[in-house]
Amino acid sequence: MRVRSDRLLFYALLPFGGIVVALFALLINVLVDNSIPILEREGLNFFTSPQWRPSETPGEEFYGILAPLYGTIYTSIIAVAIALPTSVSLAVFVTDLAPPRLRELFIGLVDVMAGLPTILYGIWGALVLAPFLKDRLMDPLHTYLGFVPLFSCQPVTGYTVFTAGLILALMVIPFMTAVIREAYSRIPDTYREAVYSLGATDYEAARTLVSMIRPAILAALLLGFGRAAGETIAVSLTVGNSASISACAFTPGYTIASLIANQFANAGLYRHMTSALYAAGLILLVIGLALNTAGLYMLARWRKTRVGR
Amino acid sequence: MDGRRLLDKLFKATVVALSVAVLLPLFHIVGTIIYEGGRTLLEGGLGFLAGPPPLGIGPALAGSAVLVVLTTLLGVPVAFLTAVLAVEYPESLVGRAAKLLSKSFVEIPTILVGVLMYTLIVVPMGSFSALAGASALAVVILPYVYTYVEEALSSIPRTYREAAFSLGLTRAKALLHVFMGIARRGIATGILIGVAKAAGETAPLLFTIGGGTQTYFRGLGAPIDAVPLLIYQYVQMPSEAYHRTAWGAALVLTLLYLAVFVAVRRAVKEVKY
Repeated sequence: MRVRSDRLLFYALLPFGGIVVALFALLINVLVDNSIPILEREGLNFFTSPQWRPSETPGEEFYGILAPLYGTIYTSIIAVAIALPTSVSLAVFVTDLAPPRLRELFIGLVDVMAGLPTILYGIWGALVLAPFLKDRLMDPLHTYLGFVPLFSCQPVTGYTVFTAGLILALMVIPFMTAVIREAYSRIPDTYREAVYSLGATDYEAARTLVSMIRPAILAALLLGFGRAAGETIAVSLTVGNSASISACAFTPGYTIASLIANQFANAGLYRHMTSALYAAGLILLVIGLALNTAGLYMLARWRKTRVGR
Repeated sequence: MDGRRLLDKLFKATVVALSVAVLLPLFHIVGTIIYEGGRTLLEGGLGFLAGPPPLGIGPALAGSAVLVVLTTLLGVPVAFLTAVLAVEYPESLVGRAAKLLSKSFVEIPTILVGVLMYTLIVVPMGSFSALAGASALAVVILPYVYTYVEEALSSIPRTYREAAFSLGLTRAKALLHVFMGIARRGIATGILIGVAKAAGETAPLLFTIGGGTQTYFRGLGAPIDAVPLLIYQYVQMPSEAYHRTAWGAALVLTLLYLAVFVAVRRAVKEVKY
């Protein structure tokens, strides 16, 4: 009797689990199906060409994803490069250095940052941060350190790859901090005590302990990169939205997500653009899932080690 | 002072400086929104909250309310029941797949969810709609609600589970009368987080709800506006007047978010068995 009713419950719940599985399959199916036309038309050139050329005459249309792909990677690298040292610092500070009350406060505030709607980062980034960065940071850096390739171009507006990278850094810091902090606080106290009993300073202790969670830090890096690559709204409001490939961080750029955000609504005006955007979305999904899987794999491996258990 | 001590001091100063530096933008964001948005709100008053755009956000606010309710109705049951499936039948194939996928959903860029619902709902229906927007939002909130419910249900102590079953309760009855009672705070938190996400997300709405409508709710199949989308569109307008409205809308969104945040904090802190 009980067993039968249990099985009934299982069958009743099955459709809902099924919806989740189906949604995933549908997403992949929709993206793949709609990408095929552009990939058949352009082949590998879709990935290797920096040209994004809409045209009224379908014969002259050509779409290459290289520039937005480059922009996605560039902005994410800037974001992660800023976020990684900061997240490690935050994790060490909150776990080892801060007094308990301050710790609670910091954790609470970082949580506020984590959940803050992305559009709020966006409005602030576009109307406050971008003009500020141009006048106070990018112009001076270009003037005095213009020989560094990163700063080699004169910023025309504040809407640049650099601005978007910085906004992204703010958005992924809470997330990366959470991953690193979780691992860092998991290190058994015996290790902490052992390090300190050898007479280590806080710096030496932190260096030793941080090196123990290297896989978790790598995982945070991968997961943070994945988040940054998929973020749309705040980036599209700050990145400048123009397709270019440049080593200089002060040029406007495009990311795949912001490309879709800006062009998908009007893509129907052209014959091949819609398909190109679906293919761009497919690439974005593949990047996201690959980084996520790799990150979670690293985390799982770290949890199996002696320190992580 | 020897080199080691100096290095230690330097290290601590850097760590503290970086940790504090992270929070400065947060304060600046919230401060600017309160200042700029406050000005808009004080000037516009009730007309700002209830009036039509470009000076008011009435339709967008009403639209967001409709979308949140609709998203909750669509998304929460699926997330909740999937979590139950994953916790109660962890060995089943669908249970395992649902668990893995529900968590992976967080990593799907939300704009792609918008693209998906555009393809599945907007194109066949021939129009942007509240339904398409809520469906996209429902997918976006799914992993968040799922995670909280799953954690709440799986953290129920074994002894309570065994006690419930030893009374001869079926799994469904134990779930309804015992487990949900114990896990209710976690479940409520998950729903609340879902509501906050649904109210604050922008990207899933870009190609689903149409936006920019001057009218209030006209039905599930009709276009609708939402506060985050209005901010997104007005920020990109070249005129200062639109920016003013965007700041005001941002303040409304911030207050909503902080209210939910405080509520969640209290709920989670009080969880005790």
